[in-house]
Amino acid sequence: MSALESSSGPAAAPWTCPFCPLLCDSFGVAAEAGGWALTGSECARARSGLSRFSSAAAPVAHPQIDGVDCDPEAAIAAAARLLTASRQPLFGGLGTDVTGARALYTLACRTGAIADPTGGTALFHGLRALQDRGAFTTTLAEVRTRADLIVCVGSLPSERYPEFLRRCGVGEGGTAQVVVLQPAAAPAMDSAIEGLEVVRFDGDLFDAVAMLAACVAKRAVGDAAGALGLLAARLHAARYAVLAYETAQLPAQGALIIEALNRIVSTLNQRSRAAALPLGGGDGASTVNAVFTWLSGLPLRTRAAPTGLEHEPLRFDANRLLADRAVDALLWIASFGTEPAPPITDLPRIVLGHPRFAAAVQGPATVFIPVSTPGIGSAGHLFRTDGSVLMPLRALRDDDGLPTVADVLKRLTQALQGAAA
Amino acid sequence: MTTTLRLRGGRVIDPTNGVDAELRDVHVRDGRIVALAPGEAATEEIDVSGCIVMAGGIDMHTHIGGGKVNLARLLMPELQRAGPNPIALPSNPLELASCGGCTPGTLATGYRYVEMGYTAAFEPAMMACNARHTHMEMGDTPILDHGAYVMLGNDELFLEMLSRGADFQHIRDYVGWTINAAKAMGVKVVNPGGISAFKFNQRKLDVDENHVHWQVTPRQVVHTLAKALCELGVPHPLHIHGSNLGVAGNIQSTLETINALEGLPAHLTHVQFHAYGTEGPKKFSSAALQLAEAVNAHANVSIDVGQIMFGQTVTASGDTMRQHAQAGLASPRKWIGADIECEAGCGVVPFRYRDQNFVNALQWAIGLEIFLLVNDPWRVVLTTDHPNGGPFTSYPHLIRLLMDRSFRAEQLAKLHPDVAANAALNSITRELSLYEIAIMTRAAPARLLGLKDRGHLGVGAAADIAVYREDADREAMFTTPAYVFKDGTLVARAGRITAVPVGGTHFVAPDYDRGIETLLRKHHAAQGGVNFDQLAIGHDELCGCCNGGRLLPAACFETTS
Repeated sequence: MSALESSSGPAAAPWTCPFCPLLCDSFGVAAEAGGWALTGSECARARSGLSRFSSAAAPVAHPQIDGVDCDPEAAIAAAARLLTASRQPLFGGLGTDVTGARALYTLACRTGAIADPTGGTALFHGLRALQDRGAFTTTLAEVRTRADLIVCVGSLPSERYPEFLRRCGVGEGGTAQVVVLQPAAAPAMDSAIEGLEVVRFDGDLFDAVAMLAACVAKRAVGDAAGALGLLAARLHAARYAVLAYETAQLPAQGALIIEALNRIVSTLNQRSRAAALPLGGGDGASTVNAVFTWLSGLPLRTRAAPTGLEHEPLRFDANRLLADRAVDALLWIASFGTEPAPPITDLPRIVLGHPRFAAAVQGPATVFIPVSTPGIGSAGHLFRTDGSVLMPLRALRDDDGLPTVADVLKRLTQALQGAAA
Repeated sequence: MTTTLRLRGGRVIDPTNGVDAELRDVHVRDGRIVALAPGEAATEEIDVSGCIVMAGGIDMHTHIGGGKVNLARLLMPELQRAGPNPIALPSNPLELASCGGCTPGTLATGYRYVEMGYTAAFEPAMMACNARHTHMEMGDTPILDHGAYVMLGNDELFLEMLSRGADFQHIRDYVGWTINAAKAMGVKVVNPGGISAFKFNQRKLDVDENHVHWQVTPRQVVHTLAKALCELGVPHPLHIHGSNLGVAGNIQSTLETINALEGLPAHLTHVQFHAYGTEGPKKFSSAALQLAEAVNAHANVSIDVGQIMFGQTVTASGDTMRQHAQAGLASPRKWIGADIECEAGCGVVPFRYRDQNFVNALQWAIGLEIFLLVNDPWRVVLTTDHPNGGPFTSYPHLIRLLMDRSFRAEQLAKLHPDVAANAALNSITRELSLYEIAIMTRAAPARLLGLKDRGHLGVGAAADIAVYREDADREAMFTTPAYVFKDGTLVARAGRITAVPVGGTHFVAPDYDRGIETLLRKHHAAQGGVNFDQLAIGHDELCGCCNGGRLLPAACFETTS
């Protein structure tokens, strides 16, 4: 049975790209002078992610307290002091993998922290629609082998998910027609992709999906439907229609758009087959959400308050909490290096991040601890965009000398317990 | 110094070893049941007089982890409140906050099972593509040992191989490879061929009906998989969620599925949902008797019941075809479905079983009838198909229903009047004994899974022990055992968790011809979503997924082929 053992050498197994939630694993990565070269793909997102890592030298990065280098023990102790002093901490960023999330949940329970990822707004567009009405979704392998019509709602995902069409089998011998449903005012696409059609609508996306839903449900809409009426007919005629959308591209109250899309899928499924394909949840957001959900029974934007486990999908929005100064300390996690920098605030901040974020964490009441990146300096697991596949991440190198997020969080939890004892 | 614990003065019920309520001491050393040499003394002693001592409970069919379970949690946050208030944090510092009920967090799942005297639980519906996630959740289910059955029979590759008449050996090797790759304890087939058929817009699939695309029947799927597992020597035979779940008249499908086995061993799961007739004014009737007669007549078949309990729950199933068909009954009105990776699907439909609803009341009666009409308790396992029939926390209530005829009659009388008046259950006088309950909740599941050192208290067995204080109210007795030991460690005392060790992972590793990998590699390159070389979970990775718990490979039996 040894043959089915995963190989222990980090280089032998396929590399899973951790920088977007498609988690592609069919590309090569080769060490070259000063960095990593991607082979087999032109993906700009993967290249940009890789560009933040050196293939040879270990990153020179030390923990810092108030912008001054220190040893790891001192940094942990300082972080523990900041958390101990906090009455309501916020855990933000959440750029980590399953192991990091597991360790973070323990700390969240001990501190009563609220956790909300970067991209929490986009994540909760999907979750709130799910909580209200449910959904019917599909996965990349299904789309690749089954879909004959893929409607990209609002935007063409390729701009942010460069391998999207390839992962859907488009241009790889697949026969799916791809339609982009976008506002009339949207700029024309840079490079015309063969076979790609654009259906434009006037007004906003809320109205457009509502109209499309009405057409699909065969309600009387008079002459108002236009191109959307034709698209509805094609959805009905499709053997397996897929509605793909990018949660991060949706406007405020985007849950309503997702709900309309789910309604369209539901209507179609009464007679033919269709499913939704949400794109999003990268940089650890959907992964940390999944882990917190299975451990506690409730998703992110939950806290272990003195009265019990409180889930507040609107009130516990990190941006709102920071703007309202409803929290008094911030633990920020950004281990992939592709995340936005930690927010600027005068609240005490603890940042566990890629070494590049050190410069953004200076000044009083700050602790910075550089951490290893899952899929580069350490192994790990992330959920793919479709939520059903938990992809293994292999380390490209295992000598970067940086601790994992989980290592740091476990030590931090121990330090808190030590302080409480 | 090695300590030896003596549990003194309890009445031991250990059906595997033929022990029925004998007054005897049980000794534990290094996590195992031991016999003391003459003159040897125990170093610790617990007085368990007035108590019944059994092996720890084993739930062999409970949806405790993986994709659809987590979707159920995401769908139903409103269940995680106590009225207008949040659910209180645990008072026990050993516990982390985790909600309970019918969509519990993994942490609460572990705590609540253990407090009830259970020490192992098996997730029955693991998708190969979701295996890492499933193992992660089970690894985050504290204390309990765990394992999972991987789903086959709706994956396009299997159906394609069957359709083109591929060499059986190749199909068998593919099954063997999948079990190894997913680190599974067995194989489950769900609505054989039907989940795939739904992706091709087929809405119904009878046992001898062709899959609209692959032109194979559920009969072929079931027989092929059952035979493959037999030849691979996998101890737990094919775990079957049959065709037409929940459909009036589906007893026919269930009996045909048993026939499709042609004597091969198999386990029919949550049979309550598959034992419906079409008699009576509402064209919905109990077929428990027909089912029980078939089970009694087919020694190759074992079952678990999937008893329903009244109240709110969530049904989480791989059976997209049937869940889509039932989604109109969702309460509250929302549901989740998914087509998944050309291999499986899932459907999560919240449901409230109502005692004044004729169908629900009859479902309740049918489940109990099955328990009481099947003669051989070694082939019946106590389940509610958590959470589909009701949460596992209702087991003590279910045990009382089975053991206490007057209590049962009292409950039956409260139901929908047609059921209360006419159910065959009225005339069944059987009351299960503690010995039979011990079989259905630990000895039989261990045997059906091939766990030689679990489910009993013989010398050498793992010291997974539940000590229940004798109480005529069996519900109270089984709700709160006085002591629960996991591998010899006291993990719960009088309903309070006392230690939180990480449980172990059961799996099997059957031999197969690795030549099949050439075909699999080609298939995944052409149609998969993941690089073939990433699919198999290695031992080190499994250990990490499972939070560092012990790996517990179960032995396969010798095969003649």
